[in-house]
Amino acid sequence: MELKGDPDGVVVQAVLAGDVDQYGVLVRRYQNRYARYAAQLLGSADDAEDAVQDAFVRAYDQLAQCRDPDNFAGWFFLILRNRCFAQRRRFRREAGLDSVPNVPAADNVEAPLEQAERQKALQGALAMLTMEQREVFVLKHVEELSYEEIAARVGTTVAALKMRMHRAYDRLRELLKEMR
Amino acid sequence: MKRLWFALVAASLTPVVLAGQRDVSTRLAGHVPPAVVAQVQGLADTAVARGLPVDPLVNKALEGAVKGAPPDRIVAAVRTVLQQLDRASDALRPVGVTGANAIEAGAFAIAAGLDSGQVATVARSADRAHPAATALQVVATLVALGVPPGRGVGLVQATIRAGEPLGDLVSLPSRLQVAMAGGVPPAAAAEGLERAALNHLTPKAQGHGKGQGNPHRP
Amino acid sequence: MSRGFDPLVKQMLDGERTIADLPPELHAEAAEALRLQSAIDRRDVSLSRGLEARVMAAVRARADSPAKRAWRWLVAPSVPRWAIGALAAASLAALLIGRSSSKQTTPPVTASQPAESAYVKFVLYAPGAHRVALAGTFNQWDAGATLLARAGDQGVWTVTVALPIGQHQYAFVVDGRRWVTDPAAPNVDDGFGRRNSIMSVTPTSGPAL
Repeated sequence: MELKGDPDGVVVQAVLAGDVDQYGVLVRRYQNRYARYAAQLLGSADDAEDAVQDAFVRAYDQLAQCRDPDNFAGWFFLILRNRCFAQRRRFRREAGLDSVPNVPAADNVEAPLEQAERQKALQGALAMLTMEQREVFVLKHVEELSYEEIAARVGTTVAALKMRMHRAYDRLRELLKEMR
Repeated sequence: MKRLWFALVAASLTPVVLAGQRDVSTRLAGHVPPAVVAQVQGLADTAVARGLPVDPLVNKALEGAVKGAPPDRIVAAVRTVLQQLDRASDALRPVGVTGANAIEAGAFAIAAGLDSGQVATVARSADRAHPAATALQVVATLVALGVPPGRGVGLVQATIRAGEPLGDLVSLPSRLQVAMAGGVPPAAAAEGLERAALNHLTPKAQGHGKGQGNPHRP
Repeated sequence: MSRGFDPLVKQMLDGERTIADLPPELHAEAAEALRLQSAIDRRDVSLSRGLEARVMAAVRARADSPAKRAWRWLVAPSVPRWAIGALAAASLAALLIGRSSSKQTTPPVTASQPAESAYVKFVLYAPGAHRVALAGTFNQWDAGATLLARAGDQGVWTVTVALPIGQHQYAFVVDGRRWVTDPAAPNVDDGFGRRNSIMSVTPTSGPAL
């Protein structure tokens, strides 16, 4: 009997009680939820997939420590974030200054040519930011969270986030001018 | 608009208060001697008459019972809770704060070590974005963590005045504990957080100026 | 070194102002910022179907004996205990904003979780204990209602309960007679010569990402 429609808390308790197969319910439920975030942070869908897979396994290992099983998604996000930040060293080493990261895989309609060019330029510029700057940019402008929501999720203050973001804006302006 | 809000609050409080009153004897029966039930019921009646919440009184009596305290100690502890609620209510009323949550938070702050004046000060600092009940809970938790009451009040005030979002006020105790885990004593940690709040001015408060020297990483 | 955006333009990017709010001399810069904003790629990303199989293979390999699982939990890198207490004690209310001031009578702790509550995990290291219970305002201070279970054989006891939103006082009862505060949480005088630990519980935060 699969707990497909049950709340996260019920599924988590089932897994903790020994029904390991139910963990698949959580994997299916959330594997794509943060895929865009991870892909934008790491610069490729492939790297995102590695990070998400790794995060799910770690989440299983630490499942007994999930304090709020009904908010498995929020807790999983923190684990995934941790994996993304741990991978940044590898990403920096492999990506030279000139290499533009892959545009994330998408199922949707192709953008017009000029738009695609501008997107690519922005992606390249984002790759030049620090991980922290890129993250706040992605969470605010791609995932469309408020500063308060971001602060709550990543455990910092709104003030710190705004300073980080405003530096990112300046850096992006500088980088995009050079790329024209 | 304010009057309507008060009316709604009073209306929503009333059924709970009445239920609480009926509830006292039922909840205590069998846990404490009948004499104690009667005395706590009397204190609860006083609480109701003064518009104070009753739950904290009942909880304190049950706690005393399970901890094996003698009957007079139980009654004394319940009376202390009532006094704390009373003092909180008296401190908050002149500032225009009357909700049960705020009163309980105020009583909690007094129990943690603040005096009535400090409770009023914190409530006065509250604004639309930073409700009094939340500010009082934060300052009480800070004091419970070892921050001197005056220092805790100053930190909460500075955070509110700096226009920081509510989440940043609420996260003060955890940020304090992060500093304490690094070996910083509570008072010094609170002072550091207060300085950070005073250094930060929101763009609106700051006007058109550029950013200040910033303690945060980019 | 080129100049950054004007602070007002940054506020526009943050969504706090519109271009109409800005003085005319900033309109060109604002238009540049809006072009940047329009280049943001918000397309969804879907990961491959093979991911689930790979995760489950790893997970099943780990799910051997219960004893091994418990041991792994114990030694796994974790949020430090002071942080658990700090987060718990410090997570105050969105609850208190905009909600009615009627206080709920504390419901009994049950396995099914009522809407306005959250799971909280309590942990105590008590290697010599035979029985550890949790008593507090959320279970009418009933020292028999909420028992902790041993986790592994290293002296760690835990329980996870659904707590109503709000502020709670509690303590552990070891072997039916010793009252112990939670070392990971702040505490206050209990009026009986001991101290109570305090914990604030908030609703799960915010919309899903």
